[in-house]
Amino acid sequence: MKQIATRSLLALLVLGLFVQGAHAGKLTADMKEGKPAFQSMGPLAFGPEGILFVADTKGAAITAIATGDTTPAKGAKLLKVDGVNQKIAALLGTTADQVLIEDMVVNPISRNAYLAVSRGRGPDAVPVLVRVKADSQPEVVSLDKVKFSRAELPDAPVDGVVTQGNRQNNPRRESITDIGFLEDRVLIAGLSNEEFSSTLRAIPFPFKTVINGTSAEIYHGAHGRFETRSPVRTFVPFTVAKQPHLLAAYTCTPLVQFPIDALKPDAKIMGKTVAELGNRNRPLDMIVYQKGGKDYLLLANSSRGVMKISTDQIDSVEKIEAPVPDGNKKGLPYETVESWTGIDQLDRLDSQYALVVRCAEGGSLNLEALPLP
Amino acid sequence: MTETFRRLHRTATLLAVVAVHLPPPSSLPVRVPPALFLRQAAAISQGLSSSPQPKGYSVRWLPGPPEGRSATVQVSGLSLVALGALQSPAWRAVNWNRVLAVYAGQGNSTDLPPMVGRYRIHEGFLSFEPQFPLDPGVAYRAEFRPDQLPGAHSGQSAPIVAVFKLPSIREGPRTVVQQVFPSSANLPENLLKFYVHFSAPMSRGRIYEHIHLRDALGKEIELPFLEIDEELWDPTMTRLTLFIDPGRIKRGVLPLEEIGPALENGKNYSLVIDSAWKDGVGKTLQASFEKRFKVVPPDRDPPNPAGWKIQAPRPGTRAPLVVAFPESMDHALAQRVIHIVTEAGEVLPGEVTLADQERQWLFVPTASWQSGTHQLVVPTTLEDLAGNNIGKPFEVDLFEGVQRRLTTPTVKLRFEVR
Repeated sequence: MKQIATRSLLALLVLGLFVQGAHAGKLTADMKEGKPAFQSMGPLAFGPEGILFVADTKGAAITAIATGDTTPAKGAKLLKVDGVNQKIAALLGTTADQVLIEDMVVNPISRNAYLAVSRGRGPDAVPVLVRVKADSQPEVVSLDKVKFSRAELPDAPVDGVVTQGNRQNNPRRESITDIGFLEDRVLIAGLSNEEFSSTLRAIPFPFKTVINGTSAEIYHGAHGRFETRSPVRTFVPFTVAKQPHLLAAYTCTPLVQFPIDALKPDAKIMGKTVAELGNRNRPLDMIVYQKGGKDYLLLANSSRGVMKISTDQIDSVEKIEAPVPDGNKKGLPYETVESWTGIDQLDRLDSQYALVVRCAEGGSLNLEALPLP
Repeated sequence: MTETFRRLHRTATLLAVVAVHLPPPSSLPVRVPPALFLRQAAAISQGLSSSPQPKGYSVRWLPGPPEGRSATVQVSGLSLVALGALQSPAWRAVNWNRVLAVYAGQGNSTDLPPMVGRYRIHEGFLSFEPQFPLDPGVAYRAEFRPDQLPGAHSGQSAPIVAVFKLPSIREGPRTVVQQVFPSSANLPENLLKFYVHFSAPMSRGRIYEHIHLRDALGKEIELPFLEIDEELWDPTMTRLTLFIDPGRIKRGVLPLEEIGPALENGKNYSLVIDSAWKDGVGKTLQASFEKRFKVVPPDRDPPNPAGWKIQAPRPGTRAPLVVAFPESMDHALAQRVIHIVTEAGEVLPGEVTLADQERQWLFVPTASWQSGTHQLVVPTTLEDLAGNNIGKPFEVDLFEGVQRRLTTPTVKLRFEVR
């Protein structure tokens, strides 16, 4: 997950400019200072005041870090690092094949890029937070002494005391597939490695308690059934008819809209399928941006170039309720930007550019800014 | 793992290279404890290369504790003036790696940044401790540049290099695929998932390249699995959950368009894990693994515990309780979620195994069975092979009105031990 939707972002920025003096530090006031523990670092998302949310799938927790990176970006220097995986590997004293870039986000204030990196690919892998500033090389972000707060997600249920041979453990784990921040909530999409269920959570921030995951049901047009348990791959918060919504992309790319207010403990919600974008691909990342006074979604996926989706009709688009045959498309119209190939990570850099991690020839990964289509 | 690295460490010093003529102990800037000096000297005597140094600087790697993968670079021979300048508030942290930099691999240092770590001046030495553990088999090159010392003149002295390498992981037992669940050779057309169990922890990243589903002619089925970057591992990374892409599961009477279902009734397939996949220590699997199976008609019926047969054990024994299901259940969920509660309402500790292609659930209690009424507690999250829950099929089709929801999250089956 990336930044908040443009409309909300603009509102927050405007709000932020006027009330920063009064509210500065309010969200970080209750944070403690120290070294947050991470078992892993997965999806990232930025909130206001330079707060970075880091999902820890292994630790089943979300950590909010006050990065202190709150100096607004100046100048037009664009981020560009060729072979970013090799450079990060060198910093971490390992080889490029032992570096996995789990997610990349842009701090909307400073426009610095933050990357969640796994040093190593086995069970002893070390999570590392890396930052790239404009016109600079990657650097490891020290987390030895930072202000942070942590919300633990509900643990997997322990069902009886059973052992397997000499082992007594719970192999269940809930993977976090995406996180986001909107207004005063952290949104988390999760998927279990045992029962097939997609959960969406909305946690109030500053953190207090974590509510139960809310089960999500969508109607997936291409499948001709109600998809009760297909996992959310990536999502963005977006305002529809003046109400905060989530636009979620599922595997096989139906685009589904949920009212955020419906995310309540133990509720069953029915998403509205607003676009069917065709089969045979896997959504990776999604951002919202404005161009010519209109809002667009940009969806990176595994098998096509990126999809530029018009949201003009999102307030009025008819819900897709019937099967969509032949891998056809329905709902919101989109165009494919063919030149954007090999995109692994995507975020909005500013009003003109997106920042991507893309695969170059030879398996090298490049961090680069691309003009928004 | 710890033993592996202990073994590694024993030979690590043999590979340590110190690139100087070490000054005699009397000429060191501070006294070196004799034991430490001997250790260093031993490493030097095994050194693979050396070069003469004009100023008596020495750069050496000191391996850390045997159980770890750490090592420290130590530079000696610095003048008191240089040491003082390096500790002065005027010395900026960004300048450290101009003086001493450590590079992973033997690549060109101008292209790639040096490793991050901690620099210190202590007892007359300049030392560098890498922030991250060292990788076996990777050459770490420490480069000390005397001409970058405060007050030095450029061209004053050539860089001094010392290389350190933990030996590559030795050949041990190679990792294998131990088992794939469901273990049956007949799987429903709407099968939801596989569990792949490995004999040792595996590695993450681009794993789906090593997993193949092939038809009877050996032709690859395109994109049959739900490919998730996060990958669905258990905490030990010895079990991978592999969901069939829900977009590729044939549903009801409606055929899937464009690429069709991954599995079709009556056809034969094989799930192949190729041996190029690397385990957690970077070694490839011992062999490829193949599970052949035939696809049978889809299962759209939720499991019904009322049809399960419970074979109660005798009191005073630790004989297994045997529960027979009419169909195979999801291995992981049946193993984890079903449990037994005693008359007093306590969860009975014991060991669960599954048998007969996951159609039998066996429970051996830690202590002998006590007479009385027990309950088999079955959370409704239990799934069969097609992902149908108790009381709820996987496909909830609101058009057909198939919506059966249980208000209770568990089903309880009573049995008597007598």
